[in-house]
Amino acid sequence: MFLSNLVQKAQQLIDPSTLPGPLANLTSNPTGRPSKAQLFRQQFRLPDSQNPLHEITAELTLPTSPQSAKNAAGQTRNWDKSNWDAAPRERGTHYVGQLHLSEGFLCFSTVNTSFVGNASAAASSAFTGRTHGTGPAGNGFTLPLCAVRRVERLHTQSYMFALSISTWNGYDSAGGSGGGGQEDASGKVKAPTPPKLTVQLEGSRQQCERFCDGLKKGLRQGIREVEGMRQVTSDCYSEYFLRYDFEDLPKPPSSSDGRPAGDGEGTEGEKGPSDTGLGSIFKYPGNSRKLRDRSKMRLWHEYLRENGRNCTLVRQPDFHRLIRVGLPNLLRGEMWELTSGSFYLRLQQPKLYQQILAKHAGEGSLAIEEIEKDLNRSLPEYAGFQSEEGIGRLRRVLTAYSWLNADVGYCQAMNIVVAALLIYLSEPQAFYLLSILCDRLLPGYYSQTMYGTLLDQRVFESLVEKTMPILWDHLVRNDVQLSVVSLPWFLSLYINSMPLIFAFRVLDVFFLEGPKVLFQIGLAILRINGEALLDATDDGSFISVLKSYFARLGASAHPRSENPKHRAITHFQALMVVAFKEFEGITQHTISEQRAKHKGPVLENIESFAKRTSIRNLGPEAKKLSPTDLAFLYDRFYAVLYARQQRQQVLQAAELEARRRQRQDVKAGSGAAEGVTPEMGRVAMGAGEKTAMDYDAFREFLAGVARWAVTDSPSSPVKEEGRAGGKGGGNGYFNAFPGRAGGTGRRMSVWGSGPEPAEHDFLQRLFARWDCEGTGEVSLQNVVYGLAPIKGGRDIMASIAYFFELYDDDKDGRVDREGILRMSEALLFLSRRGVESGAGAAASGPVVGADGEIKSRDELFLGAVSAFIRRCFEYADPDSGEREREGQVEEGVDLLDLNDEDEKAGAEQVDEPDHPLATPPPSTSNAKDDGMLARPSHHTFGQTSTAPKHAAANAALDPSSPVHITLPTFRMLVLADETLESFFDSGFANSFHLADAPLPSSTITSPSFLGLAPPAAHPPISASPTQAASPALSPGDAGGPHIPAISPGGAGAGVVGPGRGLRGMLDNIVTDGMRVAAEVRRRMDDAQKELDRSASVRGTEDDEEGEDGDETVGDLLDGADADAGGAGKPGLSEGRVGGPPLSPPPADGGKGGTEKSTMFER
Amino acid sequence: MADSSQPSAPKPSSSVKLVLLGEAAVGKSSLVLRFVNNDFQPNKEPTIGAAFLTQKCQLPTRTIKFEIWDTAGQERFASLAPMYYRNAQSALVVYDVTKASSLVKAKHWVAELQRQASPGIVIALVGNKLDLCEDDAEGGDEGEGEGQGEEAGEEAGEGKGEGDDGKVRKVSAKDAKSYADDEHLLFFETSAKTGHNVNDVFTAIANKIPEASLKGPRGGATAGGGTQAAISAGQDSSRVNLNARQGAEGGPKEGCAC
Repeated sequence: MFLSNLVQKAQQLIDPSTLPGPLANLTSNPTGRPSKAQLFRQQFRLPDSQNPLHEITAELTLPTSPQSAKNAAGQTRNWDKSNWDAAPRERGTHYVGQLHLSEGFLCFSTVNTSFVGNASAAASSAFTGRTHGTGPAGNGFTLPLCAVRRVERLHTQSYMFALSISTWNGYDSAGGSGGGGQEDASGKVKAPTPPKLTVQLEGSRQQCERFCDGLKKGLRQGIREVEGMRQVTSDCYSEYFLRYDFEDLPKPPSSSDGRPAGDGEGTEGEKGPSDTGLGSIFKYPGNSRKLRDRSKMRLWHEYLRENGRNCTLVRQPDFHRLIRVGLPNLLRGEMWELTSGSFYLRLQQPKLYQQILAKHAGEGSLAIEEIEKDLNRSLPEYAGFQSEEGIGRLRRVLTAYSWLNADVGYCQAMNIVVAALLIYLSEPQAFYLLSILCDRLLPGYYSQTMYGTLLDQRVFESLVEKTMPILWDHLVRNDVQLSVVSLPWFLSLYINSMPLIFAFRVLDVFFLEGPKVLFQIGLAILRINGEALLDATDDGSFISVLKSYFARLGASAHPRSENPKHRAITHFQALMVVAFKEFEGITQHTISEQRAKHKGPVLENIESFAKRTSIRNLGPEAKKLSPTDLAFLYDRFYAVLYARQQRQQVLQAAELEARRRQRQDVKAGSGAAEGVTPEMGRVAMGAGEKTAMDYDAFREFLAGVARWAVTDSPSSPVKEEGRAGGKGGGNGYFNAFPGRAGGTGRRMSVWGSGPEPAEHDFLQRLFARWDCEGTGEVSLQNVVYGLAPIKGGRDIMASIAYFFELYDDDKDGRVDREGILRMSEALLFLSRRGVESGAGAAASGPVVGADGEIKSRDELFLGAVSAFIRRCFEYADPDSGEREREGQVEEGVDLLDLNDEDEKAGAEQVDEPDHPLATPPPSTSNAKDDGMLARPSHHTFGQTSTAPKHAAANAALDPSSPVHITLPTFRMLVLADETLESFFDSGFANSFHLADAPLPSSTITSPSFLGLAPPAAHPPISASPTQAASPALSPGDAGGPHIPAISPGGAGAGVVGPGRGLRGMLDNIVTDGMRVAAEVRRRMDDAQKELDRSASVRGTEDDEEGEDGDETVGDLLDGADADAGGAGKPGLSEGRVGGPPLSPPPADGGKGGTEKSTMFER
Repeated sequence: MADSSQPSAPKPSSSVKLVLLGEAAVGKSSLVLRFVNNDFQPNKEPTIGAAFLTQKCQLPTRTIKFEIWDTAGQERFASLAPMYYRNAQSALVVYDVTKASSLVKAKHWVAELQRQASPGIVIALVGNKLDLCEDDAEGGDEGEGEGQGEEAGEEAGEGKGEGDDGKVRKVSAKDAKSYADDEHLLFFETSAKTGHNVNDVFTAIANKIPEASLKGPRGGATAGGGTQAAISAGQDSSRVNLNARQGAEGGPKEGCAC
């Protein structure tokens, strides 16, 4: 036992097919092709929680033969159990195909496909080839494991491994325990035979046993869900339908008493038919006699009786044929559910619909407003939608979906589609079907940008071009826009283009065979009308040709034919024939290929449109920035959002997957997170909700725009997350994966490949200021409005005020002691990588090797700041008696203003040391200094001169005498110092690098994750080669001699880190500026070197990290898997089941092969 | 057909492409329906993508055949708009006088057209649903009811949203007019329900279409549908929707911000 377990575990470890879906996705799938798991889910229409765990070639034998349905049942019991080998093999229908096992489903398909991890991409997309009308799932079955009642291993003499599977089909919940199917006395009419599925596995003994072990595990899990399944199936019309012989069916099944949904319990026998949509109340569209509804019902009755119903249905060729001829009204909804797979979604979360409605009861949203506008205009000619009943259902389904998928919300055309669905489906059924439609069948159609719609239009056009070149040339020549007519076809599934009854026929096939049907029908329409269309030379006549064609779809296609049979063929039938015969070659594969081909350009178009619109709509304030700056900000803004979303998706997917594996439970969900596509978050993909940056994103944004926003001491991801996670109430990105994020976080830097942003009080203040609505997030508009006063005005007074206001917490026009210190900190923080003083800096190039001078220039700033602090406290007003002080201050300002010109000269002087030709004019500023503030000369700055002031400053720090400065004081103090003045005049504004001088590092950030191009490329640096500032400052050149030396304040985190001993630090600066500067400088140099080094090796490092991460996660998952395996040990589940003890696993004793063993029974 | 505008016809006839833009449910389709069929439907299905209709407009000296592109109003359909307004010679930008936000959206459209559409496009700003607020303030409350306020029902939402405030009109004619003047737009307030001013809008547009432009891209010597071949040559590459914009852009404002 132990040994076998061990073997099992080992096998799982090495079996690539057990790789969890999303991960397999990421690792094996950089091209953006759908992963195997996705293909698997698509083929069998399974929920996103399902992954292909095991697969094996198998032969399915169905014992039933149409004519002997009744007596065959008895016989079946005889032969299939005891003497399989002896039984005439010809008795049943045989299908060879693949048997697949996922967490909750057992699927069989004759369409030969392989989803094992190492199968080639070609093999896994094979099913998307021609399906000959069977749909991608082919003939076979898709059994929820909870629908399996019993699995027996059959006697075989050969090495064959055969299983007999019986399902709950036909067992009334009341009499099911007896296990005797049709003999059950409680049923008034004999319940239909539960068909047994016999599956013969073809593979090595080991493979077979592994498959069976997996199956057993899944079946045990499934036990819990049996009750839920009963509930769900009780909403299926077939349950009622099959309770009677066809002729005995109560005649008018239209009990219009709107049975409340979900009363499944109890009196099964008395239960009326389930809700089959508004049609049961308001009549189904079309003349049911003409549609031959009754004979269709008879055929379906027969088929379902023999082949199972709802979740136990087996698809045989007749099934597909019956669908092609059009579904009968009462079964239409159920078959749509089954063929589209929405049934399985409902099975997983039967209460989701009600829960969502209940959760959001009474809430409002933009989507709801939009929905309300359209409720009265959705199929308004259908009686059901002229009544409150119909409108109410429509409202609830659309609303519930808009909550479920807020990214999509509500899109016009959904109202029409849902209205149509509601004619045949109950509210919850329509809800799940809508969700399948939006998420899987029509991906991106209804999204914010409708990229799916646009893409498929492009695909359709290219198919027209390919299949009907003459018509295409004609269209091009006459400038007719094909999508003008075809767009509504796709978007509303032909529902408002064709008469309803025909649109529903299209839908019947569409749900079975998938999106390609829309293309086939569209092409067929054009082909049939080809000649008339060739006569149409403008949009108008083109449209009217098609309009009149749709109007006569129901008429005979050959009205003059001699042959009455030909005369009976309607245009619609002809259309179907053309669509599915002539355009049979249009397969899902074709569509996928074409989509992949056109995706790039279409998305780019949408993005440039979105960008244009968004920039234009920014408002008047934005005009302060140049269009190129705006474009730059837009790109940068969305690049950050996009990159972050990408990272989050990946981390989340890994996280989810790990958790899921750990618990091994079947978690439902239309899980957007699981199908991580690389484009997630691209603007064009309509990542609706993400249009604003939270604080962390804001930091990342700034780090790409301003050098000072890059941290000096990159922290380890773990530490970083600890900090962010601890930040209460942050709606930050980190909170999305709390807890164990440390594990996955290690996989890659949470900041992606870009520089890690710094964390500083100043950033927080800036964020708070920009976030003017106080939402905790900044939108693009906020960013633009935040930057416009800084970059746009270039007015020194304004930027001084701007800075002051950042620190004026209570907006009372004064900044207190704490604020003053923080301001100084911020000034140091901002200048620690040098101050870029605009035009002056451009001249710094030639000063090669003028090390001493440069240093002194950087010292200037440190000196200026320390002087600033000192003076702040000198000139600060005590909180009381501020008035007299103010007078003085005003005076000072006036004086300063008078001296403005001198100040300007002084400002220039700051840069002049860099300028070889300039002669330093210290006298000017010194003269003024003496007059005004007796500012110590920079040249004498040092211990000696500051020592006495130190005491004064410390006196001002005395908390017992609260002081503050006002804006005029602040202004005065700034203007009094040419370094600071120059900083506020241009340095501050210049520190934000926009399009005119992009920060080189911002281009480092943008190459996005997973090797994809960023949504919108950044302007290349070379776009502004004339801007000397930019190359000169590039960190990449830091080694070069011409680089301005790092500012003395540049200790970065060391000096300005929040929570450090603020005062002590400042004292240090004041008393020992030179020493600090030297220290800072050393550290900065180190940091810079570090930065350079990491920049050069970043690529490889990241790769390594990625690999490490993968390994870690892989290990974790494997561990989880093993755990789950352990939890699934028979002993445990037996207790829960309480049923007959399960037989020991066949692997246990080698003799299992020769005797029949009940593997599983309920 | 190709020669219809030659001597045989007394008045020269030319076709003019007109596009309707504006927020959802402001009554674009209803305006067109009124103009084309002189009809009004209280519950008109929302336009998916766009609808195409034509109608002639008789002027003293000539006949204008409007080829009307009625577009979907919902925000997310905006990205489709370029394929409809491409080559348009005139545009109706519609807002709802009972809904202030719809004017904001209208302004966006005007800006978009001025930048991206054909140069010299004639734009009319139209405030619709005048019937809801014409005579008295009570009109709005009626708008909520089933019977009277069909138009409010049709274009749902706003009747409900605004009715409570008593005053129904949310956009004053003066404001809108002054904006229209600033931007050199034609300006009208209409009611598709009563038909008030509807024809006037189209006539005014027809009058303002410069003679020259009729000879230009669309009208030409051979009026009517056949002429379109003339302009198609330069645009063969841009088949789908958004590309259309680039076609239009290629002309006047090549180097725009984006």
